[in-house]
Amino acid sequence: MNTLMRVIAYAVIIFIAAPLVIVVPMSLSTASSLQFPPPGYWLGYYASYFSDPGWLRPTWNSIVIASATTVLTMILVVPAAFALVRHKFWGKGVANLMLMMPMAVPHIVMAVGYYSVFGQMRLVHTHLGVILAHTCLSVPITFLVLSANLKGFDRTLERAARSLGASPLQTFGHVTLPILRPGLLISALFAFIQSFDETVVAIFISGRDAETLPRKMFDSIRQEADPVIAVISSLLFLIVAIALIAPHVVSALRGRFTTKGQEKALIAQ
Amino acid sequence: MNRMISRLSEQQNLWPWLLLLPLSAYLLVFFAVPLADVVQMSVTEPTLGLQNYEKVLTGSLYRKVFLNTFMTAGIVTLCCLFVGYPLAYLMAHTSRRNAMLILLLITMSFWTSFLVRTYAWMVLLGNNGPVIWLIQAMGFEEKPHLLFTRFSSTLAMVHILAPYMIMNIYSVMQKIDKSLILSAESMGARGASLFRHIYLPLTAPGIANGSVLVFVICLGFYVTPVLLGSPREQMAAGLIGHQIEEFLAFGLGSAMAIVLLGVTLVILGIYHRRFGLDKLWG
Repeated sequence: MNTLMRVIAYAVIIFIAAPLVIVVPMSLSTASSLQFPPPGYWLGYYASYFSDPGWLRPTWNSIVIASATTVLTMILVVPAAFALVRHKFWGKGVANLMLMMPMAVPHIVMAVGYYSVFGQMRLVHTHLGVILAHTCLSVPITFLVLSANLKGFDRTLERAARSLGASPLQTFGHVTLPILRPGLLISALFAFIQSFDETVVAIFISGRDAETLPRKMFDSIRQEADPVIAVISSLLFLIVAIALIAPHVVSALRGRFTTKGQEKALIAQ
Repeated sequence: MNRMISRLSEQQNLWPWLLLLPLSAYLLVFFAVPLADVVQMSVTEPTLGLQNYEKVLTGSLYRKVFLNTFMTAGIVTLCCLFVGYPLAYLMAHTSRRNAMLILLLITMSFWTSFLVRTYAWMVLLGNNGPVIWLIQAMGFEEKPHLLFTRFSSTLAMVHILAPYMIMNIYSVMQKIDKSLILSAESMGARGASLFRHIYLPLTAPGIANGSVLVFVICLGFYVTPVLLGSPREQMAAGLIGHQIEEFLAFGLGSAMAIVLLGVTLVILGIYHRRFGLDKLWG
Protein backbone atom coordinates (compact mmCIF):
# COMPACT_ATOMS: atom_id res chain seq x y z
CA MET A 1 0.00 0.00 0.00
CA ASN A 2 2.61 2.44 1.15
CA THR A 3 5.05 1.83 -1.69
CA LEU A 4 2.28 1.86 -4.28
CA MET A 5 1.10 5.24 -2.99
CA ARG A 6 4.67 6.52 -3.09
CA VAL A 7 5.23 5.41 -6.69
CA ILE A 8 1.99 7.05 -7.81
CA ALA A 9 2.86 10.20 -5.87
CA TYR A 10 6.24 10.55 -7.62
CA ALA A 11 4.55 10.05 -11.01
CA VAL A 12 2.03 12.74 -10.05
CA ILE A 13 4.85 15.16 -9.23
CA ILE A 14 6.20 14.68 -12.75
CA PHE A 15 2.68 15.07 -14.16
CA ILE A 16 2.22 18.38 -12.33
CA ALA A 17 5.69 19.72 -13.09
CA ALA A 18 5.97 18.73 -16.78
CA PRO A 19 3.69 21.42 -18.27
CA LEU A 20 5.34 24.09 -16.11
CA VAL A 21 8.85 22.98 -17.06
CA ILE A 22 8.16 22.91 -20.78
CA VAL A 23 6.86 26.47 -21.15
CA VAL A 24 10.13 28.39 -20.81
CA PRO A 25 12.22 26.36 -23.33
CA MET A 26 9.31 26.60 -25.79
CA SER A 27 9.45 30.40 -25.63
CA LEU A 28 13.13 30.33 -26.59
CA SER A 29 12.56 27.99 -29.54
CA THR A 30 13.23 29.09 -33.10
CA ALA A 31 10.40 26.89 -34.40
CA SER A 32 7.38 28.82 -35.66
CA SER A 33 4.98 26.02 -34.82
CA LEU A 34 4.64 23.67 -31.86
CA GLN A 35 7.69 21.46 -31.79
CA PHE A 36 9.56 19.86 -28.94
CA PRO A 37 12.47 19.51 -28.39
CA PRO A 38 13.15 22.90 -30.05
CA PRO A 39 15.36 22.87 -33.18
CA GLY A 40 17.31 25.90 -31.90
CA TYR A 41 17.21 28.70 -29.36
CA TRP A 42 16.90 32.46 -29.70
CA LEU A 43 15.17 35.46 -28.11
CA GLY A 44 13.42 36.57 -31.28
CA TYR A 45 9.87 35.95 -30.11
CA TYR A 46 10.52 37.94 -26.93
CA ALA A 47 11.52 40.84 -29.15
CA SER A 48 8.36 40.44 -31.18
CA TYR A 49 6.21 40.37 -28.04
CA PHE A 50 7.71 43.60 -26.76
CA SER A 51 7.30 45.33 -30.11
CA ASP A 52 3.89 44.04 -31.17
CA PRO A 53 0.98 46.32 -30.23
CA GLY A 54 -1.30 43.35 -30.90
CA TRP A 55 0.12 41.83 -27.68
CA LEU A 56 1.11 44.91 -25.71
CA ARG A 57 -2.32 46.53 -25.93
CA PRO A 58 -4.18 43.53 -24.41
CA THR A 59 -1.48 43.30 -21.73
CA TRP A 60 -1.98 46.96 -20.85
CA ASN A 61 -5.78 46.57 -20.98
CA SER A 62 -5.57 43.68 -18.54
CA ILE A 63 -3.41 45.66 -16.12
CA VAL A 64 -5.76 48.66 -16.25
CA ILE A 65 -8.90 46.53 -15.88
CA ALA A 66 -7.46 44.43 -13.04
CA SER A 67 -6.27 47.54 -11.17
CA ALA A 68 -9.62 49.29 -11.45
CA THR A 69 -11.40 46.06 -10.48
CA THR A 70 -9.20 45.79 -7.39
CA VAL A 71 -9.98 49.33 -6.24
CA LEU A 72 -13.71 48.99 -6.80
CA THR A 73 -13.84 45.55 -5.17
CA MET A 74 -12.01 46.78 -2.08
CA ILE A 75 -14.29 49.83 -1.73
CA LEU A 76 -17.31 47.53 -1.73
CA VAL A 77 -15.95 44.53 0.19
CA VAL A 78 -14.08 46.15 3.12
CA PRO A 79 -17.19 47.69 4.75
CA ALA A 80 -19.19 44.54 4.05
CA ALA A 81 -16.53 42.35 5.68
CA PHE A 82 -16.53 44.54 8.79
CA ALA A 83 -20.31 44.32 8.96
CA LEU A 84 -20.42 40.55 8.58
CA VAL A 85 -17.51 39.67 10.86
CA ARG A 86 -18.06 42.17 13.68
CA HIS A 87 -21.80 42.49 13.96
CA LYS A 88 -24.59 40.12 14.79
CA PHE A 89 -27.85 40.98 13.05
CA TRP A 90 -30.94 39.44 11.59
CA GLY A 91 -30.37 38.19 8.04
CA LYS A 92 -26.63 37.79 8.43
CA GLY A 93 -26.61 34.22 7.14
CA VAL A 94 -28.51 35.21 4.02
CA ALA A 95 -26.21 38.17 3.41
CA ASN A 96 -23.20 35.89 3.76
CA LEU A 97 -24.63 33.45 1.24
CA MET A 98 -25.50 36.22 -1.22
CA LEU A 99 -21.89 37.43 -1.20
CA MET A 100 -20.68 33.95 -2.13
CA MET A 101 -23.13 33.50 -4.99
CA PRO A 102 -20.96 34.93 -7.79
CA MET A 103 -18.54 32.10 -6.99
CA ALA A 104 -21.23 29.43 -7.32
CA VAL A 105 -22.52 30.53 -10.72
CA PRO A 106 -20.51 29.17 -13.66
CA HIS A 107 -18.81 32.02 -15.50
CA ILE A 108 -20.35 31.00 -18.81
CA VAL A 109 -23.81 31.70 -17.34
CA MET A 110 -22.74 35.17 -16.23
CA ALA A 111 -21.10 35.74 -19.61
CA VAL A 112 -24.45 35.21 -21.36
CA GLY A 113 -26.13 37.64 -18.95
CA TYR A 114 -23.47 40.34 -19.32
CA TYR A 115 -23.43 39.93 -23.09
CA SER A 116 -27.16 40.68 -23.20
CA VAL A 117 -27.56 43.28 -20.42
CA PHE A 118 -24.33 45.18 -21.11
CA GLY A 119 -25.24 45.10 -24.80
CA GLN A 120 -28.41 47.04 -24.01
CA MET A 121 -26.47 49.40 -21.72
CA ARG A 122 -23.79 49.95 -24.41
CA LEU A 123 -21.15 48.61 -22.05
CA VAL A 124 -20.02 45.75 -24.29
CA HIS A 125 -16.52 46.24 -25.76
CA THR A 126 -15.66 48.87 -23.14
CA HIS A 127 -13.16 48.82 -20.31
CA LEU A 128 -15.89 49.91 -17.89
CA GLY A 129 -18.08 46.94 -18.80
CA VAL A 130 -15.31 44.43 -18.13
CA ILE A 131 -14.39 46.20 -14.86
CA LEU A 132 -18.00 46.13 -13.63
CA ALA A 133 -18.35 42.44 -14.46
CA HIS A 134 -14.97 41.47 -13.01
CA THR A 135 -15.69 43.33 -9.76
CA CYS A 136 -18.75 41.16 -9.32
CA LEU A 137 -16.74 37.97 -9.86
CA SER A 138 -13.92 39.16 -7.54
CA VAL A 139 -16.21 39.87 -4.58
CA PRO A 140 -16.43 36.33 -3.08
CA ILE A 141 -12.72 35.45 -2.99
CA THR A 142 -11.74 38.93 -1.77
CA PHE A 143 -14.39 38.75 0.93
CA LEU A 144 -13.28 35.26 2.00
CA VAL A 145 -9.64 36.28 2.37
CA LEU A 146 -10.39 39.55 4.12
CA SER A 147 -12.95 38.16 6.54
CA ALA A 148 -10.57 35.34 7.50
CA ASN A 149 -8.04 38.04 8.43
CA LEU A 150 -10.64 40.07 10.24
CA LYS A 151 -11.75 37.07 12.30
CA GLY A 152 -8.23 36.70 13.66
CA PHE A 153 -8.11 40.34 14.70
CA ASP A 154 -7.54 40.88 18.44
CA ARG A 155 -10.13 43.49 19.36
CA THR A 156 -8.69 44.14 22.81
CA LEU A 157 -6.10 46.31 21.02
CA GLU A 158 -8.87 48.60 19.78
CA ARG A 159 -10.47 48.66 23.22
CA ALA A 160 -7.11 49.59 24.73
CA ALA A 161 -6.74 52.50 22.31
CA ARG A 162 -10.29 53.67 23.09
CA SER A 163 -9.72 53.47 26.83
CA LEU A 164 -6.55 55.57 26.41
CA GLY A 165 -8.71 58.32 24.92
CA ALA A 166 -8.52 57.73 21.16
CA SER A 167 -11.63 58.59 19.18
CA PRO A 168 -13.22 55.82 17.07
CA LEU A 169 -11.72 57.38 13.95
CA GLN A 170 -8.26 57.65 15.50
CA THR A 171 -8.51 54.07 16.68
CA PHE A 172 -9.38 52.95 13.17
CA GLY A 173 -6.57 54.96 11.56
CA HIS A 174 -3.81 54.23 14.08
CA VAL A 175 -4.66 50.74 15.34
CA THR A 176 -7.12 48.84 13.13
CA LEU A 177 -5.77 49.81 9.72
CA PRO A 178 -2.04 49.23 10.38
CA ILE A 179 -2.71 45.81 11.91
CA LEU A 180 -5.02 44.86 9.09
CA ARG A 181 -2.71 46.09 6.32
CA PRO A 182 -1.24 42.68 5.34
CA GLY A 183 -4.74 41.19 5.15
CA LEU A 184 -5.96 44.11 3.05
CA LEU A 185 -3.00 43.79 0.69
CA ILE A 186 -3.44 40.05 0.25
CA SER A 187 -7.18 40.31 -0.40
CA ALA A 188 -6.52 43.11 -2.91
CA LEU A 189 -3.98 40.86 -4.61
CA PHE A 190 -6.61 38.13 -4.88
CA ALA A 191 -9.03 40.59 -6.50
CA PHE A 192 -6.33 41.64 -8.97
CA ILE A 193 -5.40 38.09 -9.94
CA GLN A 194 -9.05 37.03 -10.24
CA SER A 195 -9.60 39.81 -12.77
CA PHE A 196 -6.25 39.40 -14.52
CA ASP A 197 -6.89 35.66 -15.10
CA GLU A 198 -10.60 35.85 -15.87
CA THR A 199 -11.18 34.54 -19.37
CA VAL A 200 -14.76 33.51 -20.13
CA VAL A 201 -16.60 36.77 -19.44
CA ALA A 202 -13.77 38.70 -21.13
CA ILE A 203 -14.08 36.54 -24.24
CA PHE A 204 -17.74 37.48 -24.53
CA ILE A 205 -17.78 41.16 -23.62
CA SER A 206 -14.31 42.70 -24.01
CA GLY A 207 -14.38 42.84 -27.82
CA ARG A 208 -11.54 44.42 -29.76
CA ASP A 209 -11.44 47.71 -27.91
CA ALA A 210 -11.06 46.36 -24.38
CA GLU A 211 -9.44 43.05 -25.36
CA THR A 212 -7.78 41.51 -22.31
CA LEU A 213 -4.66 39.36 -22.30
CA PRO A 214 -6.49 36.07 -21.57
CA ARG A 215 -8.87 36.78 -24.46
CA LYS A 216 -5.97 37.45 -26.79
CA MET A 217 -4.23 34.28 -25.58
CA PHE A 218 -7.41 32.25 -26.06
CA ASP A 219 -7.80 33.47 -29.65
CA SER A 220 -4.13 32.91 -30.32
CA ILE A 221 -4.16 29.34 -29.00
CA ARG A 222 -7.36 28.60 -30.93
CA GLN A 223 -5.79 29.74 -34.19
CA GLU A 224 -2.54 27.95 -33.37
CA ALA A 225 -0.60 30.52 -35.35
CA ASP A 226 1.37 32.84 -33.14
CA PRO A 227 4.56 31.53 -31.46
CA VAL A 228 4.50 34.63 -29.23
CA ILE A 229 1.95 32.76 -27.08
CA ALA A 230 4.90 30.79 -25.68
CA VAL A 231 6.61 34.04 -24.67
CA ILE A 232 3.65 35.47 -22.79
CA SER A 233 3.02 32.06 -21.21
CA SER A 234 6.54 31.80 -19.87
CA LEU A 235 6.48 35.42 -18.68
CA LEU A 236 3.27 34.76 -16.75
CA PHE A 237 4.72 31.54 -15.34
CA LEU A 238 8.00 33.22 -14.36
CA ILE A 239 6.17 36.01 -12.51
CA VAL A 240 4.32 33.41 -10.44
CA ALA A 241 7.45 31.31 -9.88
CA ILE A 242 9.54 34.28 -8.76
CA ALA A 243 6.78 35.63 -6.53
CA LEU A 244 6.47 32.24 -4.82
CA ILE A 245 10.15 31.33 -4.57
CA ALA A 246 11.54 34.76 -3.64
CA PRO A 247 10.23 34.77 -0.04
CA HIS A 248 11.82 31.35 0.59
CA VAL A 249 15.17 32.47 -0.81
CA VAL A 250 15.09 35.68 1.20
CA SER A 251 14.26 33.91 4.45
CA ALA A 252 16.86 31.21 3.76
CA LEU A 253 19.54 33.87 3.15
CA ARG A 254 18.42 35.79 6.19
CA GLY A 255 18.51 32.60 8.24
CA ARG A 256 22.07 31.91 7.14
CA PHE A 257 23.16 35.45 7.93
CA THR A 258 21.64 35.38 11.38
CA THR A 259 23.21 32.03 12.20
CA LYS A 260 26.56 33.35 10.99
CA GLY A 261 26.02 36.43 13.08
CA GLN A 262 25.15 34.28 16.07
CA GLU A 263 28.27 32.19 15.50
CA LYS A 264 30.37 35.34 15.46
CA ALA A 265 28.68 36.53 18.60
CA LEU A 266 29.42 33.19 20.24
CA ILE A 267 33.05 33.27 19.15
CA ALA A 268 33.41 36.83 20.40
CA GLN A 269 32.16 35.73 23.79
CA MET B 1 -31.22 53.31 31.58
CA ASN B 2 -32.85 50.30 30.02
CA ARG B 3 -34.36 52.47 27.34
CA MET B 4 -30.98 53.96 26.57
CA ILE B 5 -29.45 50.55 26.12
CA SER B 6 -32.20 49.41 23.82
CA ARG B 7 -31.89 52.58 21.74
CA LEU B 8 -28.16 52.08 21.56
CA SER B 9 -28.58 48.52 20.34
CA GLU B 10 -31.09 49.75 17.78
CA GLN B 11 -28.52 52.18 16.48
CA GLN B 12 -25.92 49.46 16.38
CA ASN B 13 -28.26 47.27 14.42
CA LEU B 14 -28.45 49.86 11.69
CA TRP B 15 -24.69 49.97 11.25
CA PRO B 16 -24.12 46.58 9.59
CA TRP B 17 -26.88 47.27 7.08
CA LEU B 18 -25.35 50.62 6.24
CA LEU B 19 -21.95 48.97 5.71
CA LEU B 20 -23.51 46.27 3.56
CA LEU B 21 -25.59 48.64 1.47
CA PRO B 22 -23.06 49.58 -1.27
CA LEU B 23 -22.08 45.97 -1.98
CA SER B 24 -25.68 44.73 -1.88
CA ALA B 25 -26.79 47.44 -4.29
CA TYR B 26 -23.85 46.62 -6.57
CA LEU B 27 -24.55 42.90 -6.61
CA LEU B 28 -28.23 43.59 -7.27
CA VAL B 29 -27.48 45.65 -10.37
CA PHE B 30 -24.45 43.82 -11.78
CA PHE B 31 -25.09 40.28 -10.61
CA ALA B 32 -28.81 39.68 -10.03
CA VAL B 33 -30.01 41.69 -13.04
CA PRO B 34 -27.80 39.90 -15.62
CA LEU B 35 -28.73 36.57 -14.08
CA ALA B 36 -32.44 37.45 -14.18
CA ASP B 37 -31.96 38.48 -17.80
CA VAL B 38 -30.68 35.00 -18.64
CA VAL B 39 -33.78 33.50 -17.01
CA GLN B 40 -35.99 35.91 -18.92
CA MET B 41 -34.33 35.22 -22.27
CA SER B 42 -34.71 31.49 -21.73
CA VAL B 43 -38.52 31.83 -21.70
CA THR B 44 -39.03 34.75 -24.12
CA GLU B 45 -36.53 34.24 -26.96
CA PRO B 46 -37.67 34.02 -29.67
CA THR B 47 -41.25 33.66 -28.38
CA LEU B 48 -42.86 33.38 -24.95
CA GLY B 49 -43.02 29.83 -23.64
CA LEU B 50 -41.06 26.88 -22.40
CA GLN B 51 -40.11 25.54 -25.84
CA ASN B 52 -36.40 26.25 -25.23
CA TYR B 53 -36.38 24.07 -22.14
CA GLU B 54 -38.34 21.40 -23.99
CA LYS B 55 -35.65 21.37 -26.67
CA VAL B 56 -32.76 21.41 -24.21
CA LEU B 57 -34.18 18.65 -22.03
CA THR B 58 -35.43 16.33 -24.78
CA GLY B 59 -33.39 17.13 -27.91
CA SER B 60 -30.85 14.40 -28.63
CA LEU B 61 -27.95 16.81 -29.26
CA TYR B 62 -28.49 18.60 -25.96
CA ARG B 63 -29.00 15.40 -24.04
CA LYS B 64 -25.77 14.07 -25.49
CA VAL B 65 -23.87 17.23 -24.55
CA PHE B 66 -25.21 17.28 -20.99
CA LEU B 67 -24.50 13.58 -20.56
CA ASN B 68 -20.99 14.15 -21.88
CA THR B 69 -20.55 17.06 -19.47
CA PHE B 70 -21.54 14.98 -16.44
CA MET B 71 -19.42 12.07 -17.53
CA THR B 72 -16.37 14.27 -18.12
CA ALA B 73 -16.84 16.01 -14.77
CA GLY B 74 -17.15 12.60 -13.08
CA ILE B 75 -14.06 11.21 -14.81
CA VAL B 76 -12.03 14.34 -14.04
CA THR B 77 -13.11 14.19 -10.38
CA LEU B 78 -12.13 10.51 -10.10
CA CYS B 79 -8.79 11.13 -11.81
CA CYS B 80 -8.10 14.11 -9.51
CA LEU B 81 -8.82 11.85 -6.55
CA PHE B 82 -6.58 9.10 -7.90
CA VAL B 83 -3.82 11.61 -8.56
CA GLY B 84 -4.34 13.78 -5.50
CA TYR B 85 -4.74 11.27 -2.70
CA PRO B 86 -1.33 9.58 -3.00
CA LEU B 87 0.44 12.92 -3.36
CA ALA B 88 -1.34 14.37 -0.32
CA TYR B 89 -0.41 11.18 1.54
CA LEU B 90 3.23 11.56 0.56
CA MET B 91 3.19 15.21 1.66
CA ALA B 92 1.71 14.30 5.03
CA HIS B 93 4.27 11.52 5.61
CA THR B 94 7.53 12.94 4.35
CA SER B 95 9.99 15.37 5.90
CA ARG B 96 8.88 18.94 6.43
CA ARG B 97 11.30 20.17 3.80
CA ASN B 98 10.05 17.80 1.10
CA ALA B 99 6.44 18.59 1.94
CA MET B 100 7.26 22.30 1.54
CA LEU B 101 8.87 21.69 -1.83
CA ILE B 102 5.88 19.72 -3.12
CA LEU B 103 3.57 22.39 -1.75
CA LEU B 104 5.61 25.01 -3.61
CA LEU B 105 5.20 23.08 -6.86
CA ILE B 106 1.45 22.75 -6.37
CA THR B 107 0.94 26.42 -5.54
CA MET B 108 3.09 27.33 -8.54
CA SER B 109 0.86 25.22 -10.75
CA PHE B 110 -2.27 26.62 -9.09
CA TRP B 111 -1.30 30.25 -9.61
CA THR B 112 -0.14 29.81 -13.19
CA SER B 113 -2.94 30.97 -15.49
CA PHE B 114 -4.91 27.99 -16.74
CA LEU B 115 -4.55 29.31 -20.27
CA VAL B 116 -0.80 28.87 -19.87
CA ARG B 117 -1.29 25.32 -18.61
CA THR B 118 -3.74 24.55 -21.42
CA TYR B 119 -1.17 25.79 -23.91
CA ALA B 120 1.55 23.70 -22.26
CA TRP B 121 -0.56 20.56 -22.71
CA MET B 122 -0.99 21.47 -26.34
CA VAL B 123 2.80 21.42 -26.68
CA LEU B 124 3.22 18.23 -24.67
CA LEU B 125 0.58 16.28 -26.58
CA GLY B 126 1.15 17.88 -30.00
CA ASN B 127 2.11 15.91 -33.10
CA ASN B 128 5.73 17.01 -32.74
CA GLY B 129 5.67 16.97 -28.97
CA PRO B 130 7.62 14.99 -26.37
CA VAL B 131 4.85 12.50 -25.56
CA ILE B 132 4.57 11.35 -29.18
CA TRP B 133 8.37 11.30 -29.37
CA LEU B 134 8.49 9.11 -26.26
CA ILE B 135 5.87 6.74 -27.67
CA GLN B 136 7.86 6.36 -30.88
CA ALA B 137 11.12 5.97 -28.99
CA MET B 138 9.55 3.06 -27.16
CA GLY B 139 9.16 1.35 -30.51
CA PHE B 140 5.56 2.01 -31.49
CA GLU B 141 5.29 2.65 -35.20
CA GLU B 142 1.93 4.31 -35.23
CA LYS B 143 1.64 7.99 -34.33
CA PRO B 144 -1.44 8.25 -32.13
CA HIS B 145 -3.50 11.41 -32.39
CA LEU B 146 -3.68 12.82 -28.88
CA LEU B 147 -4.65 16.44 -29.37
CA PHE B 148 -8.27 17.62 -29.73
CA THR B 149 -9.67 14.47 -28.20
CA ARG B 150 -11.54 13.70 -25.03
CA PHE B 151 -8.24 12.39 -23.68
CA SER B 152 -6.34 15.65 -24.09
CA SER B 153 -9.03 17.89 -22.60
CA THR B 154 -9.58 15.49 -19.69
CA LEU B 155 -5.86 15.31 -18.96
CA ALA B 156 -5.47 19.09 -18.99
CA MET B 157 -8.52 19.57 -16.77
CA VAL B 158 -7.17 17.02 -14.28
CA HIS B 159 -3.90 18.95 -14.24
CA ILE B 160 -5.69 22.27 -13.73
CA LEU B 161 -8.09 21.04 -11.03
CA ALA B 162 -5.84 18.58 -9.14
CA PRO B 163 -4.43 21.32 -6.84
CA TYR B 164 -7.94 21.90 -5.39
CA MET B 165 -8.22 18.19 -4.57
CA ILE B 166 -4.67 17.90 -3.20
CA MET B 167 -4.95 20.94 -0.95
CA ASN B 168 -8.29 19.81 0.47
CA ILE B 169 -7.11 16.27 1.25
CA TYR B 170 -3.72 17.41 2.52
CA SER B 171 -5.23 19.88 4.98
CA VAL B 172 -7.34 17.08 6.46
CA MET B 173 -4.48 14.54 6.55
CA GLN B 174 -2.26 17.03 8.33
CA LYS B 175 -4.73 17.32 11.19
CA ILE B 176 -5.14 13.58 11.75
CA ASP B 177 -4.23 12.68 15.29
CA LYS B 178 -1.27 10.29 15.02
CA SER B 179 -2.27 8.56 18.25
CA LEU B 180 -5.42 7.26 16.52
CA ILE B 181 -3.25 5.44 13.98
CA LEU B 182 -0.93 4.17 16.69
CA SER B 183 -3.75 2.85 18.83
CA ALA B 184 -5.32 1.13 15.81
CA GLU B 185 -1.95 -0.47 15.11
CA SER B 186 -1.58 -1.55 18.73
CA MET B 187 -4.91 -3.32 18.40
CA GLY B 188 -3.62 -5.24 15.42
CA ALA B 189 -4.84 -3.24 12.42
CA ARG B 190 -2.29 -3.50 9.61
CA GLY B 191 -1.76 -2.37 6.05
CA ALA B 192 -4.88 -2.36 3.94
CA SER B 193 -7.25 -2.86 6.83
CA LEU B 194 -5.72 0.02 8.79
CA PHE B 195 -6.07 2.16 5.70
CA ARG B 196 -9.64 1.13 4.94
CA HIS B 197 -11.09 1.31 8.41
CA ILE B 198 -9.11 4.11 10.01
CA TYR B 199 -7.25 6.30 7.57
CA LEU B 200 -9.77 6.52 4.74
CA PRO B 201 -12.76 7.47 6.96
CA LEU B 202 -10.63 10.10 8.71
CA THR B 203 -9.74 11.71 5.38
CA ALA B 204 -13.30 11.47 3.97
CA PRO B 205 -14.17 15.13 4.67
CA GLY B 206 -11.21 16.24 2.54
CA ILE B 207 -12.23 13.87 -0.24
CA ALA B 208 -15.82 15.18 -0.14
CA ASN B 209 -14.69 18.83 -0.20
CA GLY B 210 -12.23 18.33 -3.03
CA SER B 211 -14.61 16.21 -5.09
CA VAL B 212 -17.51 18.67 -4.87
CA LEU B 213 -15.25 21.56 -5.76
CA VAL B 214 -13.62 19.80 -8.73
CA PHE B 215 -16.92 18.41 -10.03
CA VAL B 216 -18.70 21.75 -9.88
CA ILE B 217 -15.88 23.72 -11.50
CA CYS B 218 -15.58 21.07 -14.19
CA LEU B 219 -19.32 21.21 -15.01
CA GLY B 220 -19.02 24.83 -16.08
CA PHE B 221 -15.55 24.62 -17.66
CA TYR B 222 -15.36 26.53 -20.93
CA VAL B 223 -11.81 27.35 -22.01
CA THR B 224 -9.93 24.04 -21.82
CA PRO B 225 -12.56 21.79 -23.47
CA VAL B 226 -13.03 24.35 -26.24
CA LEU B 227 -9.29 24.62 -26.92
CA LEU B 228 -8.18 21.03 -26.36
CA GLY B 229 -11.30 18.90 -26.66
CA SER B 230 -12.87 17.24 -29.64
CA PRO B 231 -15.36 19.47 -31.48
CA ARG B 232 -17.64 16.45 -31.75
CA GLU B 233 -17.71 15.91 -27.99
CA GLN B 234 -18.60 19.36 -26.73
CA MET B 235 -19.32 20.14 -23.12
CA ALA B 236 -22.28 22.24 -21.96
CA ALA B 237 -20.39 25.52 -21.51
CA GLY B 238 -18.83 25.19 -24.96
CA LEU B 239 -22.20 24.63 -26.61
CA ILE B 240 -23.72 27.60 -24.73
CA GLY B 241 -20.94 29.81 -26.07
CA HIS B 242 -21.49 28.39 -29.54
CA GLN B 243 -25.24 29.10 -29.41
CA ILE B 244 -24.64 32.71 -28.40
CA GLU B 245 -21.65 33.61 -30.56
CA GLU B 246 -22.29 31.61 -33.74
CA PHE B 247 -26.05 31.17 -33.97
CA LEU B 248 -27.22 34.13 -31.86
CA ALA B 249 -29.67 31.66 -30.34
CA PHE B 250 -30.04 33.55 -27.08
CA GLY B 251 -33.09 31.62 -25.94
CA LEU B 252 -31.53 28.19 -26.34
CA GLY B 253 -28.18 29.31 -24.93
CA SER B 254 -29.92 30.85 -21.92
CA ALA B 255 -32.06 27.77 -21.28
CA MET B 256 -28.92 25.61 -21.33
CA ALA B 257 -27.19 28.07 -19.01
CA ILE B 258 -30.08 27.92 -16.54
CA VAL B 259 -30.10 24.12 -16.58
CA LEU B 260 -26.34 24.13 -15.95
CA LEU B 261 -26.79 26.66 -13.16
CA GLY B 262 -29.64 24.63 -11.65
CA VAL B 263 -27.56 21.46 -11.50
CA THR B 264 -24.61 23.35 -10.00
CA LEU B 265 -26.78 24.97 -7.35
CA VAL B 266 -28.47 21.68 -6.42
CA ILE B 267 -25.06 20.06 -5.82
CA LEU B 268 -23.79 23.04 -3.84
CA GLY B 269 -27.10 23.24 -1.95
CA ILE B 270 -26.88 19.62 -0.83
CA TYR B 271 -23.30 20.25 0.19
CA HIS B 272 -24.29 23.41 2.05
CA ARG B 273 -26.94 21.61 4.11
CA ARG B 274 -24.52 18.83 4.99
CA PHE B 275 -21.31 20.73 5.68
CA GLY B 276 -21.83 24.47 5.17
CA LEU B 277 -20.72 26.22 2.00
CA ASP B 278 -18.17 28.44 3.71
CA LYS B 279 -16.00 25.38 4.37
CA LEU B 280 -15.74 24.53 0.68
CA TRP B 281 -13.15 27.14 -0.18
CA GLY B 282 -11.23 26.58 3.05
